Amino acid sequence: MTAASSAAAAAALPRPGPWGIGRYDVAGQPVFFEVGWDDWRRDVAWARAMLADHGVGPGSGLIVVSSMPESPWFDPFETAARELGAPYSIGETYAFEAFRTGMYARRLTITMIFGLDRTVTEGLGDELAEVVARVPVIVARPDAAGLLVAAGARPFLLARVGPVLAVECPYRSGAHVNGAEWTLAERGGELSISTAGPRAHQVSRAPLGLRGTLADGPCGCGRAGQRVTVSEGA
Amino acid sequence: MPDERFFEPDVETMPRARIAALQEERILELVPYVYERSALVRKKWEEARVKPSDINSLADFTERVPFITKDDIREFRAAAQDPFGGLLCTDYADATTVFSTSGTTGDATLYAHAWDRWHPFWAATARDLWEIGVRPGDYVLGSGFKMRGPLYHADQMVGAIPVLVNTGIGGWATALDAIRRFRPVYGQLTGLALAELDHLARTTDMREVFSSFKGAAFAGEPLGARARAQLESWGVEVFLWTSTGDVTGAWECRQHDGCHAWEDCVLLEAVDPAASTPGTSAHVADGELGELVATSLDNPVTPMVRFRSDDIIRMTRQPCACGRTHARFWPVGRKGDETIVAGRSFVPMDIWRALEGVPQTATALFQLVRPAREIDELKVRVGYDPEVTTSVLELWDRVSEAITAAVGVPPVLELLPEPELLARGRGGKLPRVVKS
Repeated sequence: MTAASSAAAAAALPRPGPWGIGRYDVAGQPVFFEVGWDDWRRDVAWARAMLADHGVGPGSGLIVVSSMPESPWFDPFETAARELGAPYSIGETYAFEAFRTGMYARRLTITMIFGLDRTVTEGLGDELAEVVARVPVIVARPDAAGLLVAAGARPFLLARVGPVLAVECPYRSGAHVNGAEWTLAERGGELSISTAGPRAHQVSRAPLGLRGTLADGPCGCGRAGQRVTVSEGA
Repeated sequence: MPDERFFEPDVETMPRARIAALQEERILELVPYVYERSALVRKKWEEARVKPSDINSLADFTERVPFITKDDIREFRAAAQDPFGGLLCTDYADATTVFSTSGTTGDATLYAHAWDRWHPFWAATARDLWEIGVRPGDYVLGSGFKMRGPLYHADQMVGAIPVLVNTGIGGWATALDAIRRFRPVYGQLTGLALAELDHLARTTDMREVFSSFKGAAFAGEPLGARARAQLESWGVEVFLWTSTGDVTGAWECRQHDGCHAWEDCVLLEAVDPAASTPGTSAHVADGELGELVATSLDNPVTPMVRFRSDDIIRMTRQPCACGRTHARFWPVGRKGDETIVAGRSFVPMDIWRALEGVPQTATALFQLVRPAREIDELKVRVGYDPEVTTSVLELWDRVSEAITAAVGVPPVLELLPEPELLARGRGGKLPRVVKS
């Protein structure tokens, strides 16, 4: 079939570059970062474990709320959903696209919304209560948490922390950072990041322009390593 | 392989007889498959008294199988409380992704795929990027919207590196920064992006910025003559693309002589827009105006079967000068776009051209407010550039004169600063025909 023949042609090609290039801003200045293919594969494995902890498995319906430029952070979770056999839909992070998140939540059997932000939460308008009532697990960004709680949800949190997507596990003890890849530090409430793994993007104590707190020590989920609670800007 | 002219030479230049044989083989597999699994197909076929055993050739299929319209899908969805409108041929759990049509002209329709490594909607697009000249190791601007899934799969399939930055409304200043740093060879543009680039061009040397580009893709709506000329003045070769009834994409090649459909993926037909029932007489001749009708040949989850897209096209199966043999088509407009006001007929492109001629509205951002196809007054909402507009009253007169000259009827105008009108955009495009 078409996809198979095109995939075969793609497989025969050299792939000399990385998976892709992402960008985050620190104090208004852009930081471009490379995600290597090996980086991406390890990110997918980590994302898969995080989603599985939330009960995502074969047949779980997901809505991933993310935009195209956020793909370096969210694609590993989309790929993980595919690998777990969980059908997913995309609800983009624009006000004019909020209807799509609501539509998927209304029409399909959705077990998790992953990445819900304030723009889409506000854009859901009168539908928000219905979405909250229908979807058992909502993993939301910090800027949406208050609105969701007010609507009766008990969201788990995720946050973009520089090049990292930190995600809370079911034990609600802060958003986990993949410690094999990254180390966060906090000084006076300001977060910085260092690369811990063999990644293409190497940084050392690079400020992130974010405020937050860190927790160490084992989590109830069994993971060691850092959890972060971001207070603004993620 | 990077030196090869085509990404899949055997497929892209397949003789017509082989394409027809391949399509017939796939159609004859599809017919019993969808009849057994798609509730909407079974309903439509039973109403038309067609059984799988009646379909023994491609000709039988195109002569006897009933059409399916968007309204059919919506009505089935409402009546059966089936989110997929009777199109789903597997369990929902068997799908990998469920995406939806843009929803700009009404209620979005769901479609789903099952896939392993690369999303099927974008898999064949690798052929089109290769044709533009994207090669392994090239950077590309990983732009666009994600509602149809990971478009960057096509970039990665050809070995390119997507630079994933914001190219949505308000994002182009940062995107230009990324272009300067990575010198990508290709990116996606939309009408709304062009409106923003038009402003940035006042302070930016666009020819220098885009000098690394081998081409840029443009989709979502027609490309106006002024916008095309502007892109050409920046040295950007534009490759138009569109969808084939939401089955897959169809892109121009370097000949720019129609959009290539991939007929190993979709069975494409052009039928008389007024024909409600199938039959030989429903098809229009090569090159004549017709409605695009699509049948999925590569989607076992929600295959479209003789889906009427509402897109008006001209189509040819003549080989292209590029050497490819698959059908090409030229999008002309949307069925139902023709509007009659005070007995005069026009299409939105008439207003488009008129606005391009007025400097303050040259980006041609407008909406025709049309509660019905036949209207008593011509209500048009027009975006103007506040930076170059000194008198809105004066502009009102100029725009009114331009539209009156184009359509023959004076408009009832609503002038809005461009940012206000852009906020009504969706998925990279502004709905050009709205009810209110």
